[in-house]
Amino acid sequence: MDPRYDIPRRATGGSSNSSPALGAQSRRRKMPPRPADFKLQIIIIGSRGVGKTSLMERFTDDTFCEACKSTVGVDFKIKTVELREKKIRLQIWDTAGQERFNSITSAYYRGAKGIVLVYDITKQETFEDLPKWMKMVDKYASEEAELLLVGNKLDCEADRIISRQQGERFASRISGMRFCESSAKDNFNVDEIFLKLVDDIVSKMPLEAPSREFSNSVLSLQPEPEVLPELPPPRMRCC
Amino acid sequence: MDNDQEGSKESSGRTDLVSEDGKNTKSVLCERCGSKVLCPAMAVFTEKELFLPSMRKKSSPGTTEGSVDGDTLTAHWLVDDMLTFENVGFTNDVGRIKYLICADCEIGPIGWHCLDDKKKFYVALDRVNHA
Repeated sequence: MDPRYDIPRRATGGSSNSSPALGAQSRRRKMPPRPADFKLQIIIIGSRGVGKTSLMERFTDDTFCEACKSTVGVDFKIKTVELREKKIRLQIWDTAGQERFNSITSAYYRGAKGIVLVYDITKQETFEDLPKWMKMVDKYASEEAELLLVGNKLDCEADRIISRQQGERFASRISGMRFCESSAKDNFNVDEIFLKLVDDIVSKMPLEAPSREFSNSVLSLQPEPEVLPELPPPRMRCC
Repeated sequence: MDNDQEGSKESSGRTDLVSEDGKNTKSVLCERCGSKVLCPAMAVFTEKELFLPSMRKKSSPGTTEGSVDGDTLTAHWLVDDMLTFENVGFTNDVGRIKYLICADCEIGPIGWHCLDDKKKFYVALDRVNHA
């Protein structure tokens, strides 16, 4: 075994590596490098201030750093996760700063395999904006794109204005849209959100459908896309 | 970090880092959080003079017009497809440039990309660790 391929366990001071995505990465230490099995684009949309950027960051790690970001801002990220023994390269676009519905170019939507639509559970307007965002999605995004509605800022539960049911209900009216609530601030549900979305996308893709051994993957979901995997708890049941 | 094995920043250590065919023998990691930027053998060593703003923020964040604190670096890992990266972040445009940063802790810039050449992504050897 060539030690050069060994990813050393770094003394990271214990702060990082709590996310499943990163855990998967270090578990791979014995494997030679290989190209990604899948490459997916994911975009994060939603009204100003709902926490899109922190979702993108929180997916990755705990540190908020200012050095570069405060002056210039992050445009997008390439992230690699492993699911069902597949190495999946994600290109994650956060559309912050371009929140006016019409200003986000159609190109953002066009290539996206996954679309995360975010609102703030403490801000009515951000919820009311959702239909407008969906209009853009309908207009520009591929029909196959997986949709996920995220009610963010669970950490501000005391200021909640949009009930969980309202979010569920909105999502249930749109075919195939999933729903969950999260807190990017304390990282609640954030990894899961992305991994679930990615898993949905991957399970829809052709290529030797993974038939075995995903029981111990980060998410134990069903391989068939038509079967609704267990989701963030109680799903809809309204009208 | 007292890891004397890790990525020598001196050019004397560079022969360790570059394989015979000019590729990176080791993984390229963020020097702060260890996030993996590139797997071994995914990038080609190249020399090009590029100016990268400083990784450390000055006490006064205001970069007094025209004078940005930073370094001109010449040793880089060159990648021709952004999807070759394991993890990396891209800043918004600064003129025709996008800086590369760590996707996890967002320290940077660790690299440089010019919008005029879509097939060239540079990561400065001096701004990353190798292991």
